[in-house]
Amino acid sequence: MGSYMGQQEHGISDGLYTYKHHREGGADIHVIFVKKSKFRVLLSYMGTMFLLATVCCALLSKDSLCLGSLWSISFASIIAKCLRCDPVKKESLVIMPTFGVQLEQHFWSGRVHRKFVPIGKILKPVLNEHVTPVSCYCNLALLLREEYDLMLVFKNLNPPVKMLVPIWKALCAFVDSKTLSDSALPQST
Amino acid sequence: MWAAAVFSDIMDEQGTKHRILMVSDFFFPNFGGVESHIYYLSQCLLKLGHKVVVMTHAYGNRSGVRYVTNGLKVYYVPWRPFLMQNTLPTLFLTFPIVRTIIVREKIYVVHGHQAFSTLCHEALMHARTMGYKVVFTDHSLYGFADAGSIHMNKVLQFTLADIDQAICVSHTSKENTVLRSGISPEKVFMVPNAVDTAMFTPSPKRLSCDEIVIVVISRLVYRKGADLLVEVIPEVCRLFPKVRFIVGGDGPKRVRLEEMREKFSLQDRVEMLGAVPHAQVRSVLISGHIFLNSSLTEAFCIAILEAASCGLLTVSTRVGGVPEVLPDDMIVLAEPAPGDMVRAAKKAIDMLPGIDPQIMHLRISYLRILGSKTVLPSYDHQLPTMAPFRIHTAFVLIHIQGIPQHFLWKLPVSEL
Repeated sequence: MGSYMGQQEHGISDGLYTYKHHREGGADIHVIFVKKSKFRVLLSYMGTMFLLATVCCALLSKDSLCLGSLWSISFASIIAKCLRCDPVKKESLVIMPTFGVQLEQHFWSGRVHRKFVPIGKILKPVLNEHVTPVSCYCNLALLLREEYDLMLVFKNLNPPVKMLVPIWKALCAFVDSKTLSDSALPQST
Repeated sequence: MWAAAVFSDIMDEQGTKHRILMVSDFFFPNFGGVESHIYYLSQCLLKLGHKVVVMTHAYGNRSGVRYVTNGLKVYYVPWRPFLMQNTLPTLFLTFPIVRTIIVREKIYVVHGHQAFSTLCHEALMHARTMGYKVVFTDHSLYGFADAGSIHMNKVLQFTLADIDQAICVSHTSKENTVLRSGISPEKVFMVPNAVDTAMFTPSPKRLSCDEIVIVVISRLVYRKGADLLVEVIPEVCRLFPKVRFIVGGDGPKRVRLEEMREKFSLQDRVEMLGAVPHAQVRSVLISGHIFLNSSLTEAFCIAILEAASCGLLTVSTRVGGVPEVLPDDMIVLAEPAPGDMVRAAKKAIDMLPGIDPQIMHLRISYLRILGSKTVLPSYDHQLPTMAPFRIHTAFVLIHIQGIPQHFLWKLPVSEL
C-alpha cells in the first residue's frame, strides 16, 4: 500500500487486473488497471500489415483492378478492423459525495471517455451475474431510475468479484447516504 | 426403518454436503413431469442441506441466472431451442459454459435428466471428461425399431458408457434403459416418481353417483392414445347413458375429438376444456369419479398418481410401467384396444359405489412396498409423498460416496 495526497491507497492484484482505491479532494476513487496485452497489439499490427499487403498486391499486379481484387481488399479491411484494438489502460469510478458518480475509461492511445451519473438517477448498484452462451461472469452495474437497461460500471473489463465487492459496498454506502439525507429533510406541508 | 431414513442417518453421520448440478432441456417455465421432478428433487436436496444448481436453456426472454424457491439457483443459458425444446446438439460448443458453471459453483455431482435432452447428454459427457461424478435419470420408454429411436439409443450408449449411476422410474423403464444403452444393470436403480398429496386432495363433499363423470387430462397426441379415446368415448356414452366425459388438454389430435363429438352429437356429454394449467388440474380432477388414461407408452404416468390422490378410480392401458404404479384395487387395467377399454370402463363403473375418495387419498399418502408394486414408503408426516425423492436423493448420493453395495441389500428396500 502506498500513500497519496495524505490518503492511504489500497490495492488488490491478480496478475491481469490491479485494483487501487484512494481518496482525493473529497472524492472516492476506485481504479482498475489492466495489463497491456502484447498479443492483441501484435494481432492489430498483423491485421494492418495484411491490409497493406493486399492493397499493394492489387495495385502493383499487372492485371487491372477487377471485382476479385475489390473483394480481397474489402475482406482485408474487415480483418484489419476486427483485429484492430485500442486497449484500455484503466477504468475508474469516482464517487463524488452529494453529486454523483463518474465512470472513466482511459485508453493507451491517450483517449479518455467519461460519463457522469447524477446521484438522483441511481436506484441501486448491483453485482450482476452475466451469462453468455460460452461463459458466466460477474459485473458491477447500476440500476437507474426510469430506465430499463442496466449501466455497466466497467464496460471493457471483467475484473474478478473480489475487486468488485469493495466498489459495490462503497456505491451502496453512497446511495444509502443519499437516501438517509433525503428522509432527514423536513417535509414541506 | 425405511431406506431413506437410514441413508439420511448415514449422511448425517458423515456430515457431507454435496453440490449438485441438475441438467436438462426441460425445466420451468415449461411444464411437465420431468420439470416437476427436477424441481421437487432439488427442493428435497436443499432441505437436506445440499447445494443444488439447475442448468437449462433460455426460454424466450428468460435468460441468465434466476433464484427460485429456497435459493435454488437456475442458469438459463442463452442457447435457443431448435426442435421440441431441445438445444442444438453441437457436441463441444456447450463445453465452455458447462465447465464454467461446474467450476464456479464447485459442483461435485452432475445429474442429467431425460434421454431426449441434448443438453443433458453433452453436459454428462463433459462432466465425465473432467472427472466429475455423473448420474442420469431416464423418464421415458423408447423403442428399438424406428430411425429416431435407433439414433437416440446410439447416443445413449455413448453417453452412459462411463456413467456412475443411472436411475429409472419403474422396473419396466429400467429394463428398457438397460437394453437400449447396454450399461450394466447393477448401475441402474429404480426409484419411482412421487406426488405431492398436499396439493392433490379429494373434494370435501363426495360426488353423487347419479351422473358418472369420467375425466381425461393429457396431451392430445398419438402416444397418449388420443386415437383410442375417439373410439372409446362414443361406445361408453352409448352403453352408459349416465356417463359424462370431461377432456382436458390440447394437441394435434384435438381436432379428431371435436369431430367425434360432432359426429355422435355428444356436445352435451363430452366437455372439452382445452389446455389446463397445472394449478387447475386438481379442480378438474375432483369434478369426476373416474380417471381415464389411454397412453400407448408410459414409463411411469404421474397423472395416475395425481388422480388417485384426488380420490378417483383409474382406468388405464396396461403399457410400460403403468401396472407398477397403483395397487390392483385402485386401478382397472386394459389392453390398448377400444373393446378392452370399454370393458374396463364398465368394470370401473361397477366398482364405484365401493370407492371412498378420502380413504384412497390417505392410502396414497401412506403407501407401502408390496411385492413388485412400486408403492412408496412414507416416514415424514409433513411431506409423506416426498419420500421417493428422498430415496432418489439417497441412492444418488450414497452411491456417489461409494458405500459398499452389500450394505444396501441388508435393508428392507432390497425389495425394490
